[in-house]
Amino acid sequence: MPRRPVVKKEYTLGERVYLVEIAKGLRLTWKHFVFNIKASFQKGPHTVPTCWQYPEDRREIAPIFRGAHMLQLNDKGQELCVGCGMCARACPAKCITVKRGKPAEGEEDKYAGKTMCSTFEIDMLRCIFCGNCEKACPKNAIVLGQDYELAEYEPGLCIYDKKRLISNFLKAKAEGRLKPPPAPIPIDAPPVKKKAAVKKTEPGKTKAKGGERAEKGKGTSVKEEDKGPDK
Amino acid sequence: MADWQIDLIKVVFIWAWALLIAVVMTWVERRASAMMQDRLGPNRAGPFGLLQPLADGIKLFTKEDIIPERARKILFILGPILFALPAFSTYAVVPFGDKIVIGGKEIILQVSDVNIGFLYVLALSAIAVYGMVIGGWASNSKYSILGGLRATAQLISYEVPMGLALLTIVLLYGTFSLREIVLQQQGTFLGFLPNWGFFKQPVGFIIFLVAAYAEANRVPFDLPECESELVTGYHTEYGSMRLGLYLFGEYVNLVALSAITVSLFFGGWALPYVDMGKFLGPVSYGIASFLVFFLKQAFFLFLFVWVRWTVPRFRYDQLMGLGWKALIPLGLVNLFVTALLVQLTT
Repeated sequence: MPRRPVVKKEYTLGERVYLVEIAKGLRLTWKHFVFNIKASFQKGPHTVPTCWQYPEDRREIAPIFRGAHMLQLNDKGQELCVGCGMCARACPAKCITVKRGKPAEGEEDKYAGKTMCSTFEIDMLRCIFCGNCEKACPKNAIVLGQDYELAEYEPGLCIYDKKRLISNFLKAKAEGRLKPPPAPIPIDAPPVKKKAAVKKTEPGKTKAKGGERAEKGKGTSVKEEDKGPDK
Repeated sequence: MADWQIDLIKVVFIWAWALLIAVVMTWVERRASAMMQDRLGPNRAGPFGLLQPLADGIKLFTKEDIIPERARKILFILGPILFALPAFSTYAVVPFGDKIVIGGKEIILQVSDVNIGFLYVLALSAIAVYGMVIGGWASNSKYSILGGLRATAQLISYEVPMGLALLTIVLLYGTFSLREIVLQQQGTFLGFLPNWGFFKQPVGFIIFLVAAYAEANRVPFDLPECESELVTGYHTEYGSMRLGLYLFGEYVNLVALSAITVSLFFGGWALPYVDMGKFLGPVSYGIASFLVFFLKQAFFLFLFVWVRWTVPRFRYDQLMGLGWKALIPLGLVNLFVTALLVQLTT
């Protein structure tokens, strides 16, 4: 590459005297100063536009934020988790341990499914908050919530057990911060396209459908084969 | 009350006042800079973070006092004291108000009206350099010694234009006493301009202001401390309250310098166009003159902060070039012209 010759900028007299330039700079900082002083007297969650006073003001968290996990209950207060272990399989960090069990006699009302998880542990020190467990769950039982202050005084406390995960859910429910349930996957969405384009899209569409089915089939097969994904 | 009692009260008052302003200035510096840079600054200790200087002071006092091995101990201890003391002493000759009449006694609001107040200020500002130089050279560290060397060179080259700018003021008013100078700045000239040194000596004012920034080691001339090159320059090796004295002395220096600026170039305690003494009682006039002086001073204190967070630091050779090749010739020409004008008009 040919080198460009360095052209030294010739300063004008005003720039060389320097005082005018300083005055311009002072004007700029003054603008910022006045703007921020005014902003600090405005009422609102934070005092200066670019600063949040963290413990008092918190940023709004997006509904799809992936924070601390929780195990959901349905409207009747029954546990949704059936202990299938899909989440443990999907987890790339291998931080979930699930053991499937049968509900004890007389306690069948506590669980939505025929089976339940006898243990459910998430090692939060290993979790990478990818959200795969949430996607893999066939019952929408495990969900990533909006809590992000997860520091503990001891490493042992970072392994969340079932009790804690359910209490996370109850807390989020009480504060009204639950995620809306995922929208059902549209299977029979009518193709709203021009006639010429219909032919082209059809094979792709069927493929997608087939893929979905295959996934579902795979899911159920795993469910039947695995009697407890203890690895 | 005897005279010496009045003097003692004045000394204690002005000493406490200068300290208070310097303390508040550390807070203003941090908050104002934050506001200029879209941040918040310290706002946790007390209302608006006003107690932050106190917290810093406690922290500095309780820290371990380290004297580096093979440092010159006596000089190392002497450095911060030599730096802070002259800064405090400068305030002795500043007329911070006109006069106040209490119990039929007329009290001049100035610690002492020395007839060589001017030279006193210059001498003290020259001594303050020794604080930096000795501190830097005694601490047996490369950064410190570089900071000390820079302080020497910079302050030698900026004393000269400062002296030249101040000489023009002496030529104009024909006196070395700061109170006399302030008294001569009352009223107007050419019909509409206040009789201030700023309007009579604009060039001298600019030279003085630039030299004052260099004198106070403030950005854009903070080469002796120069964080990005020399860690913190001459006080790199200092810790605990010795460092506190250096940092604090800098702000006391600012207070003194802006007081000198106000009394030399901006008419001291007097308001332009208005004679406060005509419609105010003797006591309230004294207080009002003090407040007017303080307001003017506060503007210059804020200007120090304002400029600091606007202008980047000069390179070392640029600084020397500006001092020797621009300010000194300009000061000499200005002095010559002023002398000519004074000679022709009187």
